[in-house]
Amino acid sequence: MRNQASAHRLAAALSFGLSSLALSAPATARDLTIALSSNVNTLDPFKSTTVGTDLSVAAHIYTPLVDRGPDLKLRPGLATKWEAVGDNAWRFTLREGVTFSNGEKLDAEAVKWNVERVLDPKTAARNKPWFAAITEVKVVSPTVVEFLSKGAYPDLPDQMSMFLLMPPKWTAENNPAVTAVGSGPYELVRFTSGDRVELKARKGYWDEKPAFDNVTFRILPEDSSRIAALTAGDVDLITGFPTSEIKQIKAGGKVEAGSVAGTRGMFIKLNGLRAPFKDQPKLWRALNLAIDRKAINEGLLDGLAEVSACQPLSSVYFGFNPDLKPAAYDPAQAKKLLAEAGFASGLTMELEVPTGRYIQASDIAQVVASQLGEVGVKVNLREMEFGSFMNKYIVGKNLGDSAYFGLGWPTLDAGGLLNFWETENPQSYWGSESFTQGAKAARSTNDAAKRTELYRKLTKQLCEDSPSLFMFFTPITYAQSKSIAWQARGDDWVRAIDIKTR
Amino acid sequence: MSLLSILRHQRANWLGLLGGTLLVLLLVLAVAGPWLGLPDPTRGDLRARMLAPTISWTGLGSHPLGTDQLGRDILSRIIAGSRVTLTIAGSAVVLGGIVGVLLGLIAGYFGGWWDRILMRLVDIQLAFPLMLLALLVVAALGPSLHNLIAVLALTSWVRYARIIRGQVLTVREREFVQAVKAMGAGPVRILIRHVLPNVLTPALVVATLELARTIVLEAGLSFLGLGIQPPSPSWGRMLADGRTYIASAWWIITLPGLALMLTVLSVNLLGDWLRDWLDPRSERS
Repeated sequence: MRNQASAHRLAAALSFGLSSLALSAPATARDLTIALSSNVNTLDPFKSTTVGTDLSVAAHIYTPLVDRGPDLKLRPGLATKWEAVGDNAWRFTLREGVTFSNGEKLDAEAVKWNVERVLDPKTAARNKPWFAAITEVKVVSPTVVEFLSKGAYPDLPDQMSMFLLMPPKWTAENNPAVTAVGSGPYELVRFTSGDRVELKARKGYWDEKPAFDNVTFRILPEDSSRIAALTAGDVDLITGFPTSEIKQIKAGGKVEAGSVAGTRGMFIKLNGLRAPFKDQPKLWRALNLAIDRKAINEGLLDGLAEVSACQPLSSVYFGFNPDLKPAAYDPAQAKKLLAEAGFASGLTMELEVPTGRYIQASDIAQVVASQLGEVGVKVNLREMEFGSFMNKYIVGKNLGDSAYFGLGWPTLDAGGLLNFWETENPQSYWGSESFTQGAKAARSTNDAAKRTELYRKLTKQLCEDSPSLFMFFTPITYAQSKSIAWQARGDDWVRAIDIKTR
Repeated sequence: MSLLSILRHQRANWLGLLGGTLLVLLLVLAVAGPWLGLPDPTRGDLRARMLAPTISWTGLGSHPLGTDQLGRDILSRIIAGSRVTLTIAGSAVVLGGIVGVLLGLIAGYFGGWWDRILMRLVDIQLAFPLMLLALLVVAALGPSLHNLIAVLALTSWVRYARIIRGQVLTVREREFVQAVKAMGAGPVRILIRHVLPNVLTPALVVATLELARTIVLEAGLSFLGLGIQPPSPSWGRMLADGRTYIASAWWIITLPGLALMLTVLSVNLLGDWLRDWLDPRSERS
């Protein structure tokens, strides 16, 4: 115990000795500091799809039509209600009298302008694919707007929770990447990329007044620095550290720590477009049986992860298939299948591991490699930085034999997630026509019952063919000071509006 | 000889001896590693992860230096890591040395355009941050044992070249070289038989200093994930893995860090002593 405490002090001193000397003014109850693990690259909500950093910060300044609460359910935002009109349209009713902080009106016209900005190729919006199915925005009245789409667009309201609305006139005249004016509960005070974003509560906000006057996001990439900063009282909330640290953080008694089930499913993507995995369903199944997910969960993640039920969806997703069970751990059967697939004398494959993005990725990959080694599959690990991996994976279309990868879909709808296994998707690496046809059929209707049925079939096919070896949903770990209460959530949003004072 | 300088020499000897002893000990451990009966450094037991060091006055215990985040024995990983580190750094220093000495000989002996081109190359590379150069090359070629050795050799040849050239400039004007030249010997024969033996001593000193620097650079690259790939252990990699757990398991990062520090320190002590000992201007005690 004494050892641990002194090591902790050492860590705190190493990481924050200097800065805590300079900034030792005690935080009052109305100030909040949140630590982020990677940089905020832009404040423009159209230029990023990273929920954990860029969009989380932007969501304080801008607001969406529909809000997703900490319980992961949709609730009214700028729109008070929404309904499907036939299979090809959605109608949203907006709140009356909402303005941006510069006085511009947030009405149906502004919503229409925002959709047009996203779809305009000149904007080069990163989130364009989310809304590309919208063909027309009809202004019915200043408070009623309709979205028309080519086919059905069943998860449009979910997707709208990611659509942060910007003021038309201001956006045209300013650079929204480095400055911001919106309709949200906070206003931008200062944005220093790589260091911090400072916000203050906005006067005259149209919804419930936020609990904090000042909110600061600080960028602290190193896990141990974030933990030290929290224990030293420099920040109030941290997320995304290894599960093994929860106990240690709690032991100090000054702060609280815990975890919630996450919505990002981790899996091992097999490259089905080339040897050795092309047209080798038996080999795929063999590998699926050779991984002891439970041992990894208990050994490395303190049992806090949710083992995947042989599908990319967790139970909170629409389209989750409750009939599927996690893949069994059966090394004997795996060896048998390997032999049947023609690899009796063993197989050597590479496993690419992007670093700096997924919780304990390198450790997990090493354990997977040793488990596969036990059935005679030699795994050569190739670690690479996340950005260069994505480049190789999506732009270069040059995935190695396999990769440890994670996918979550913020709308929590099977449609968005299963799309990644359709043949046209650059991330697919699987040439299954029947799956692609099925996924398209499921996307073509707004009828929830019909979609559920179709998605059950598709998830079953993914499980049986195992083009990807579904592992688990990694937990979201968090720790907070005792003066605040974060309504911990399983997606990546980190927002001050989900935090209350105590 | 004054009393002071005797004392200084004694101390230099002392430290050199200490450095040499530590280095020999490390080499013996690195070579004998696989026969010491230690646990497999690449196989972990998830039920025994992050165990504190068990070494004490009464005995070693099951994991003398504890286990890491995957339940692997840290002592055996440090020893296995030393093999990797010493192999890479040693090969890089030898390779860089051969290239550097060769180019230094050419630049110094032939002078003229050879000298100008080679020395400008040296200037350019010395002005370029070494870590950045190494990062760029590894990122382009991909991390592997051979690439790592090549990159580290690439960063180290310049110092040899510069020093050897300086030595050659003085040696080539000496009477015995002039005499051999007058007897009609070709440049290859002169360089190999007469110049090289007279410039090897400084090369040896450079080599020890380069060895220390290369070990640190290799650790840096491994720390950044550009070194040898897991599960093969390397010290830099162990530091990178352990930094997340510094609060709950200090030994994962601290012990390989100590090993790295002691190694570099002993190489440097040895190098300092070697320099004093080989310098003809300093008197030997």
